[in-house]
Amino acid sequence: MNVSLLFSQILNGLATGMLYALMGIGLSIITGVLNIPNFAHGALFALGAYFLYTVIQLVGNFWLALVLAPLGVGLLGVLIEYGGIRPLYKAGHDYQLLLTFGLSLIVTEGIIIVWSPVGMSQLPPPLLRGGVNLGITFYPKYRLFVMVAAALLVLGAWLFLEKTRYGAIMRAGIEDKEMVSLLGIDIHRLFTAAFAIGCVLAGIAGALTAPIRGLNPWMGVDMLGIAFVVVALAGLGNLLGSIVAGLLVGLAQSLVALFWPEASVAVIFAVMAAVLLVRPQGLFGIR
Amino acid sequence: MSELTRRDVLKLGGAAAAAGLGFPAVLRAQAKEIPMLGLWSFTGAFSDVGPVLDRGMKMALEERGMKIQGKSIKYITRDDETKAGSATRRAEEAIDADGVKYIIGPWSSGVALAVSEVAKRKKTFHYFSGGTEDISGARCHRYSFQWAASPYTAAKTVVDTFMQANPKAKRWHLLVADYAFGWSVEKYIKEVGKGHGIEFVGADRHPLGEREFSNYVTKAAANKPDVVAMINFGLDAVTGAREIFNFGLTPKVPLILTWSSGVEELVQLNPEIRENMWVGSNFYYTADTPVAKEFVKNYQAKFGGPPGYAPAAAYGMTRMMLHAMDKAKSTEVPDVIKACEGLEVEDLVGRMRVDPKTHQTLRPYFFMRCKKKDAMKNPMDFADIVATGSTPLPAEYAACKDIGTL
Repeated sequence: MNVSLLFSQILNGLATGMLYALMGIGLSIITGVLNIPNFAHGALFALGAYFLYTVIQLVGNFWLALVLAPLGVGLLGVLIEYGGIRPLYKAGHDYQLLLTFGLSLIVTEGIIIVWSPVGMSQLPPPLLRGGVNLGITFYPKYRLFVMVAAALLVLGAWLFLEKTRYGAIMRAGIEDKEMVSLLGIDIHRLFTAAFAIGCVLAGIAGALTAPIRGLNPWMGVDMLGIAFVVVALAGLGNLLGSIVAGLLVGLAQSLVALFWPEASVAVIFAVMAAVLLVRPQGLFGIR
Repeated sequence: MSELTRRDVLKLGGAAAAAGLGFPAVLRAQAKEIPMLGLWSFTGAFSDVGPVLDRGMKMALEERGMKIQGKSIKYITRDDETKAGSATRRAEEAIDADGVKYIIGPWSSGVALAVSEVAKRKKTFHYFSGGTEDISGARCHRYSFQWAASPYTAAKTVVDTFMQANPKAKRWHLLVADYAFGWSVEKYIKEVGKGHGIEFVGADRHPLGEREFSNYVTKAAANKPDVVAMINFGLDAVTGAREIFNFGLTPKVPLILTWSSGVEELVQLNPEIRENMWVGSNFYYTADTPVAKEFVKNYQAKFGGPPGYAPAAAYGMTRMMLHAMDKAKSTEVPDVIKACEGLEVEDLVGRMRVDPKTHQTLRPYFFMRCKKKDAMKNPMDFADIVATGSTPLPAEYAACKDIGTL
């Protein structure tokens, strides 16, 4: 076994795994707090990438775009929650599922109308182009940046949820919404905030992914599937589990590609099936 | 209960007479209409090319005023979903319900091989353009024709030309799409490469619709190749090329897109990513033929950008089929097939001849080198054609031993 290659693949696995974790945490918060399956999560991921591209076109600054793009997706999330999802909280899951699925189609079609169906490339900022010699291997600077940035964001999200009062309310909301409501907390504001945070995380993942995978209106479809795999693996609403599951999926995909490239997509679902056979509630799930 | 009067009888008789005269007229009108099917991917892995393929076929039909041999052409489309099952089901439905006798498409080789079997079973004329060698090879039959160059012709053009310009670049790493098209082109790239002493230091196959190329690129980089050649298409090629650039391989290491659309992929990549990229294609919009010039002019006027291989193939296949109908002076499938076999015309990419023994269209294949950003005259000025090759598949490789009967 070529050690350099193995090391590179581990780095690849960590970088993509961190992006999967970001998507998974966002989806987990929404699914946990709002108790709705957000089928628009992939489309919001795509929107994060397109917002990044547009801000760069307008102001020519990658870093500003990286901040504004997810915020834009979060703002849209607030509007979606307020105008679309809120009236359906008391409706059945099938209505919520149809709504979020419909939203994903609307967002995708919106991207096609605004930006065209033809895909686009977004280069990394000049500072992060090319590779860097890590001694054991040569690795793209931008992927290293993504790995560190996503890890910090995941850590930040985890600290926010674990160490802040608002995070505690949100976690309580995941566990028992009625109890939180009885404590006098505005449950609607909690729902809006949870949906917006989930959208921001999807937007960040999309924006960070754009220079790696480029942009096309359907780029969220693959990511949506993986995000659901992460949530299922983690256990419903479990945030630490989302981080572990994201990394597990990323590493499995990356390492399998070393030996059996054709199976690198199938392995994602094989890992999920294997874990759920042993632990139907997911790695960290209790329900 | 009322009795039938004489007037009623006359009315009924009149109606019956009108119906008797009218029905044959309707039947005659139906027989005069030739339904033609464009079987394209509007969803699935190749959904990005479905609409442009549709444009190409429509343009070729509209050039003829939607008429052939005095009969109206009824152009219908179906979505093959880039899946063999859906494509065969849709093709059969169109044949049974709409009376389709002529099918152009689909786009994916694997899907087309399944449709080719339907064409054979239902005795339907079928023209396809893609990278599998099987339609005019191991699975050849009288009803299916191949418009794209043989994978051997493509490999010979790409490898010979590239090695002429880069004689020292002997370590090649291949990234291959894992389906019929990828396997066919890979086979001949390796075969032709032997003649140049090329060492294939790696050949990874990836699934159709792959979006995470870092794993493959890491392996490619570890092999320290002189050249990376990709045998994939569409978004797979775009994603792979982007990742190869991100890993810092290009522009230092040349990247060859062995079988590309020539426009649809290149437009999705920044000029920086396209630097030192070499591209093989069945069509490039600066092709210097009268038909290509007219087609490109009309396409640009209509759609605001140049056509790539996909619309050109749909346009070209439809034209070849119409040429065969002209030659046959008939729209009956057996007559058109016989006329298409051996058909020789100056058409879209130059001299084109259909080999009657294999149904392979013998025609030139293009090889381009992408321009640096500062050499581009406009955003669509991607590349210069550096070679056109038309070496046919040598007889010893021909897998179509007997094309069969009608």
